[in-house]
Amino acid sequence: MSAQGWMLVAVFALCAGGALAGLIVSDRRNPAVLAWAGSLAAAAAMGAAASVLWSGTIFEATLWTVVPFGKLAVSVDRLSALFLFVAAVVLMAASVFSASYLKRYAGRYSLKAMNAWFLLLAASIVLILIADDALLFLLAWEAMSVLSYLLVTFEHRRDESSRAGYLMLAMGEAGFVAVVLVFLFLAANAGSLEFRALKAAAEDLGPTARWLIFLLTFFGFGIKAGLVPVNAWLPRAHPAAPANVSAILSGVILNLGLYGIVRLNLDLVPVDMVGAGLVVLVVGTVSALIGILYAATENDLKAMLAHSSIENIGIVTAGLGAGLIFMAYQRPALAGIAFVASLYHMINHSVYKALLFLGAGTVDDRTGTRDLNQLGGLVRAMPWTSGAMLVGALAISALPPFNGFVSEWLTLQTMLRAAELPSIPVKIVFALCGAGLALTAALAVTCFAKMFAMGFLGMSRSEGAARATEARKSSIVPMVILAALCLLLGTLPTYMIQALDPALQPWTHASATEALVPPFFASHASNGALPPAFAAEFHDLGAQVGQSVLPGRGLVVLHRGAAENPVVFAMSTSYMLVVLAVLLGLTYVVLRLWLTRRRRLARGERWDGGVRRLLPEMTYTATGFSNPVRVIFDAIFRPTTVEDTRETVAEHFRMAIRRNHLAVHVVERYAMQPARWAAMGLANGLARMHHGRLNAYVAYVLLALALALTLGLA
Amino acid sequence: MSRWVIRGIRTGIKTTGYPRDPEHAPGVTPGLPVGDVLGAEAAALAERCPTGALDQKDGYIAVDYRRCVHCYRCVRGVPRPLAWQAGYEWAGLSGEPRAQDRLGGPFRRSIHILVVDAGDCGACLNEVKQLNNAYYNMHRLGFFITPTPRHADVLLVVGPVTDHMHAALKKIHDAMPTPKRVVAVGACALSGGVFAESFVCGRGVSEVLPVDVEVPGNPPPPLAILHGLLVAAGRKPAVPLTSAEGGM
Amino acid sequence: MNGVELKDRIEDGWPGRARCRFDAARRVNEVTCERAALADVCRRIFHEWDFSFAGLIVEEGPDAWRLRYVFYGERDAGWVHVLVAAPLAENAFPSVVVEAGIYAADWHEREAEDLFGVRFEGHPRLGDFVLHDDAWQESVEPMRRGFDAVAAMRNRRPDADWRPQRILQEPGAFVMPIGPKFSGVTESVHFLLETVGEDVIRSSTRLFYKWRAVEKLAEGKTPDEVLLLAERFAATTAFAHGLAYCQAVESIAGADVPARACVLRVFLAELERLRQHAGAIQEICESTALVVATSQAGILEEELLRVSGNLAGHRYLFGLLTPGGLACDLPTGACREALGAARAVLARMRSLDDELRISSSFLDRIEEVGVIFPQVARAYSLVGPVARASAFVRDLRRVQPYSGYESYEFDVPSEEEGDGYARLRVLFAEARQSMRIMEQAVDALREGEIRAPVNLRGGAALGAVEAPRGAAFHWVRLDDGGRVSRYHIITPSFVNWHSFHLAAEKFAFQDFPIILSTFDLSVAENDR
Repeated sequence: MSAQGWMLVAVFALCAGGALAGLIVSDRRNPAVLAWAGSLAAAAAMGAAASVLWSGTIFEATLWTVVPFGKLAVSVDRLSALFLFVAAVVLMAASVFSASYLKRYAGRYSLKAMNAWFLLLAASIVLILIADDALLFLLAWEAMSVLSYLLVTFEHRRDESSRAGYLMLAMGEAGFVAVVLVFLFLAANAGSLEFRALKAAAEDLGPTARWLIFLLTFFGFGIKAGLVPVNAWLPRAHPAAPANVSAILSGVILNLGLYGIVRLNLDLVPVDMVGAGLVVLVVGTVSALIGILYAATENDLKAMLAHSSIENIGIVTAGLGAGLIFMAYQRPALAGIAFVASLYHMINHSVYKALLFLGAGTVDDRTGTRDLNQLGGLVRAMPWTSGAMLVGALAISALPPFNGFVSEWLTLQTMLRAAELPSIPVKIVFALCGAGLALTAALAVTCFAKMFAMGFLGMSRSEGAARATEARKSSIVPMVILAALCLLLGTLPTYMIQALDPALQPWTHASATEALVPPFFASHASNGALPPAFAAEFHDLGAQVGQSVLPGRGLVVLHRGAAENPVVFAMSTSYMLVVLAVLLGLTYVVLRLWLTRRRRLARGERWDGGVRRLLPEMTYTATGFSNPVRVIFDAIFRPTTVEDTRETVAEHFRMAIRRNHLAVHVVERYAMQPARWAAMGLANGLARMHHGRLNAYVAYVLLALALALTLGLA
Repeated sequence: MSRWVIRGIRTGIKTTGYPRDPEHAPGVTPGLPVGDVLGAEAAALAERCPTGALDQKDGYIAVDYRRCVHCYRCVRGVPRPLAWQAGYEWAGLSGEPRAQDRLGGPFRRSIHILVVDAGDCGACLNEVKQLNNAYYNMHRLGFFITPTPRHADVLLVVGPVTDHMHAALKKIHDAMPTPKRVVAVGACALSGGVFAESFVCGRGVSEVLPVDVEVPGNPPPPLAILHGLLVAAGRKPAVPLTSAEGGM
Repeated sequence: MNGVELKDRIEDGWPGRARCRFDAARRVNEVTCERAALADVCRRIFHEWDFSFAGLIVEEGPDAWRLRYVFYGERDAGWVHVLVAAPLAENAFPSVVVEAGIYAADWHEREAEDLFGVRFEGHPRLGDFVLHDDAWQESVEPMRRGFDAVAAMRNRRPDADWRPQRILQEPGAFVMPIGPKFSGVTESVHFLLETVGEDVIRSSTRLFYKWRAVEKLAEGKTPDEVLLLAERFAATTAFAHGLAYCQAVESIAGADVPARACVLRVFLAELERLRQHAGAIQEICESTALVVATSQAGILEEELLRVSGNLAGHRYLFGLLTPGGLACDLPTGACREALGAARAVLARMRSLDDELRISSSFLDRIEEVGVIFPQVARAYSLVGPVARASAFVRDLRRVQPYSGYESYEFDVPSEEEGDGYARLRVLFAEARQSMRIMEQAVDALREGEIRAPVNLRGGAALGAVEAPRGAAFHWVRLDDGGRVSRYHIITPSFVNWHSFHLAAEKFAFQDFPIILSTFDLSVAENDR
């Protein structure tokens, strides 16, 4: 067996071994077992994925052959490897983080269970990503669903956890049914369960079948990915889970939904309808907008992050949709860019969302609250956590030089390319979605400005926040590493594009690298391919700088157009970082070392209007900060007043004004509640058939038999 | 909207020529008494002053402008009134003579002024407000009002500093970046005026903060306050705050 | 109902428990009643007989507390002073706010409690009013006779745990502090706005940052010295307050002010009203950021200040008043000249008014903001243009005329809406009426004495003047030596500040300065 094979075996062995070892040792030591087994397994998975990504050779193995169905097989192609690598990074961070974080549950909840479920979940995730046939895929998928349910309901004594977990499981199973239907249809079509056979047989499918398959898969996997309108479970389940699990849920499991969509709609049954692409694009954009609107107005730190996951997955999905449309219109280069942008954003989201969830867990652990209205002032007591959270907030707000910027910028730039398409209605949809995503990006900044300003700056608005202390090292280290990754992914986009590109080339049949990363480093072999005047101009701009440090094509992301329009868009966060650093340094030198060199630095107290003592209750709360968003988008939030009373003495003295509003989530209002009513109505209708009269039951049996016979004969 | 623009243009220029030319329009200043030689009646006249602004010695009357509250009791209803001058360039330097050297410098160009009401009766504040109207338009001289001490170069204090404003005033002064100047405006800010001295009011700003420029008057007319600001900026010479015997 | 009928009604209403003495010259019914009957008497005067509550005057006699509740009604009804007394040791009185439903007395009772330590039973919000609890301990009672300032300062124990009183219970609610130093050129006052962002849900005003203890300072001084304080504690309306004070002293002394002085007083008081209204209009324009209008109104205010300065020597009319008349005569010619100048200013003010009425961007900002409903205006006994914009019309010049106002022809403008725009319209309309009065005053000027002799003697009297911002009451008590032993000032701003919070609530933050400016409130006048 190859090295990759051994590494994958090691992953499963470590997970299983860790789970078993946890049962033997005492409850108290389980977090350490989890941290070691989890991070080693993640390292092994990382190694396997990296070697596939690097070499490009597809790893394949057959586990065993079952005669009537074919064989259970695994394979790791570059797409799987990409997803696997990202999952491994998040798994490793979450595992290390668990070591100290889980201690808060000691004695209250079973850490043995946590250890076992967590490691088994990791194994099931890896299995989903490497499965090469429908049976293994579905088995692993179901295992993942059940295990994540068990982990979400880890704090089973809390009512909201068990409710959220149940909703997640129920909705996940509904999606699973859709996915099973798709695979049954494909398997019946191909007479096999192997992906290769499914793919080969699917080539002859007609448009109706393709549409059906697309809709079912998009619905089924969309539920796991948390797309509007089937995301009702997500904002409840993610915050209910312990932070290390939340990181996995947001950073990995949402990706699995996307993996399912990509694997089925790009690989097995390629979607070639413009309409399907438009559906994906619009659903993605709407998810992004709805997600960020609720994130911006949410005050529970983890719920806010969960809503923001919907937003980010929405952006990723919109990118996928754009790619599908470009594919359908035979624009492979643009499709390649769109897919790269989309997957880039997915990876970025995994990294910073894992970071933010770990940070949120730390804050919850150290202060005892996740309510942003109760936090504040943590930056002084928890500098490392706050610093890491700041990086996460900047990255997710898509501010350079961090990673969110690059992928969102690329996604928006690709959407602007829709101008090249022939159809006016499609262009209009693109324009509207582009505007929607731009609004999303703006709201994301307000959302995370609120998170950092209200959670970490200012005065502490509760006892817990005032008494907080810095977290332990094993919590800080993974956060710092993830923060560093945010910077790295943000400042070396050309290398990321080159790494992502081969994973998608089999389907796009075009190189995104060629389309986006021109060879600007002088020594590069294909440098001669650039038009000389164009190359010279960029040479003058300094696009060669850095060659001695970094190998490869260059550090400029640039999309070339026709001769009359040589640069369609261009950007380099790498150089931007250098310029930024130089400017900041220069500012310091000029301001501090030169202009004010003889001045004593005076630290003034913050200006508060001259009150005798500024109190924490006199500072903005998160609710107050986000209230403008709530007011502007009132039509979406539709809050209802549940309480507005005042208590008075002697008619005029008001002793209390009590106000409370309730806002039902827009998805809940327009999708979940009607669905629930429909389901209840159907169930009630069916219940009427169960009246206990024997003759009627005999009639049902006869009717069913007649129906089956008619269908069979036809 | 254009109607307002046309209306504004049709109003023409109202702005005073001060500090380039003196302003002689009637009613721009309440004026101040002038020190005088009165002989035998001096003691009785000095006695009439409710704030002790008049000091008599051997028939000479000297005026401490910082204490004058314009009660006109030295000119109305007396057989021999004091002479009265209608000027407005009243601002002087507080205390030490070397203060003049410290002025100007970084304050010569445009300066931002933070106005603090430390118990003012409303008149001084109203006169400060007039500096922004078309007649005085202090923006043309590079003086701007700022609401925050962080941007302020000059702290302009009106009022006698009440006990409740004491802490706030200190806080404001501390919150200002250096270099900074303090201009005390009005008799109350200089000496406590008619409110001195009770358990909630002291004898003016100098008990709380180091004052650089003092502008007498109750209230000082806008031109006097403008003069005070010009003195603080080192763009006009200061004048003495007390009259020598027998003259201005 | 006139004063005599009222006397009968009171004596019939509470036989033996309330005695009534009618002073026909001052048109005052003095009702002396028991503590137990106080609330009932006050309730009927306020609610049934439709009197306004002017104020509460607390006096500490040598061995007894004397509380005087002052009411004024329509012209015939005159004044009612309800007196209640108690030995010094028993410093608890029923709160007329709670017991008689006179909410207008709220702040008067709070002030008396803070300064004298008199308790008002049932009042739910005593303390932390004039003397801030985070600056002074609650036991300091500075207006008491035996108050030892030195000891109070030495044992200063401010409440270190002071927190703003919060009544809003809503997730994410917070208190937005504004001031005491805020904005450009503003008086020092502190606002605590309870909010969840965007809208002010509850506003409370923390005043008395500028408390100068004027009433305490006045004690033991001669009336001439106290006049300086009366003119200077709120100098934007110095003449009106000086006049109210002089009237009180003249009333004690029984002095008859000569006719010429009366006419000149009216002329100057109306000039001050015109000037103050121009200033208020300027503030309103400024708060809506209407630059040209601000500048135009600023020109009008400055020109009226110059007219005053040119006529009287002082831009704020200091030093003219004296008990018994005026300190110096103003030549009739100069008055006529001033009238001409003021008339020219008024003409431009009218054209500014016309222009503002058709500026939609301006109207959008002041219409329907800061609404005070008529029943609120009555319950709070509001005064001045603020009350008259809410259809609560009670102008002292008309209902309780002084200084010969009964012989002038003028209208008392009023509006119904009670919003910011209604208040602005009232200001413009009052400015026109002031001009009418000034014209009549100049025509009525006859040569003659301007000052009557004043024989100071022991006694007490109330001087009442319709100041530009509303009714002002000065209570003066002179001891037998002719020195002031108690001076109490009830100012229009003190009354109107009480209701300001209602206007500010339910509006967005950006409307707050506009609402504040349309109220034309003076902090100095309130803080004293």
